[in-house]
Amino acid sequence: MNITLKCFAGLKRHLPANAKANQVIVEIDDDMSVYQVIDFFKIDREEAYLVILNGVFVCPPERDSTILKDNDTLALWPEVAGG
Amino acid sequence: MDDNDLSRYGRHIMLPEIDFEGQQKLLAAKVLIIGVGGLGSPVALYLAASGIGEISIADHDKVELNNLQRQIAHDEKSLGQSKVNSCAHRMKAINSKINIITLEEKLTGRQLLSSVDSADIIVDCTDNLTTRFEINRACVEKNKWLVSAAAIRWEGQMSVYHCGAKDSPCYHCCYGMRENGSQEFDQSCSANGILSPVVGVMGSMQAIEVIKLIVKQGDVLLGRVLLFDALSMQWESMQLPKNPNCSVCA
Repeated sequence: MNITLKCFAGLKRHLPANAKANQVIVEIDDDMSVYQVIDFFKIDREEAYLVILNGVFVCPPERDSTILKDNDTLALWPEVAGG
Repeated sequence: MDDNDLSRYGRHIMLPEIDFEGQQKLLAAKVLIIGVGGLGSPVALYLAASGIGEISIADHDKVELNNLQRQIAHDEKSLGQSKVNSCAHRMKAINSKINIITLEEKLTGRQLLSSVDSADIIVDCTDNLTTRFEINRACVEKNKWLVSAAAIRWEGQMSVYHCGAKDSPCYHCCYGMRENGSQEFDQSCSANGILSPVVGVMGSMQAIEVIKLIVKQGDVLLGRVLLFDALSMQWESMQLPKNPNCSVCA
């Protein structure tokens, strides 16, 4: 199945070369969890702190049990605390 | 409001969402700004210019040369001065009629709670997670509006929190796992760098949300986090549900 993967800020380096405007459509196995997708793309779980599935924050304890569906959009951002 | 006030705030009063009544609310409002660095500078200057009646500014730092790249409330003449005095001087130069309270200290514990309790709205412009968690706790305890933003490198994030609102999350609902996390990330500007106007953008948007809250107009970022990537010039809006297991607000 296909999902749209979006990576912002320093996480952009993890996107495949064919990504445009910080996003790319990627093919993944069925029934993969949020963390399995993050691991598949070799993205540091701690660095990708803000995980957004179809526009909604997925809190860390739910990332193993949240399963992606076809055409989902998964966006990843680092957290920011400076000011 | 006298004739000078009507002239000064005329461009606000022309806006039907603000009008005379809204400007009166701004003149009667009390806002606490914690941190007058990169974010706090535009917040303080815009809120002073907008006529917020009482603005408390808290910061324990002094102005250093490396601050001047982005902290626009300060200038070369204020090097070595406390940031709150430097910022208050600039705010007074813009609007001498408002009341400015300077708190030259690191607000914590009972002092933080007391300062939060005295304000209508708290604006978090600090530079580290530890302080942000403490400010959030104080706002939850005192049931106050919290307008929070952060910036680093080319990125900014902001939201508005109020646990008195039904199903509304707090700052801890989003970032809380970092408090006792397995890995500590230093997300300060001093360790990672910051593009100067990014704090200007985020701080200006904090000021917008404060004004909207006071005049009770529009939709604020309650239950949403706005994320900004300046390098690709993209914004994302993220829904943030209340965490039913949050150790602070649940």
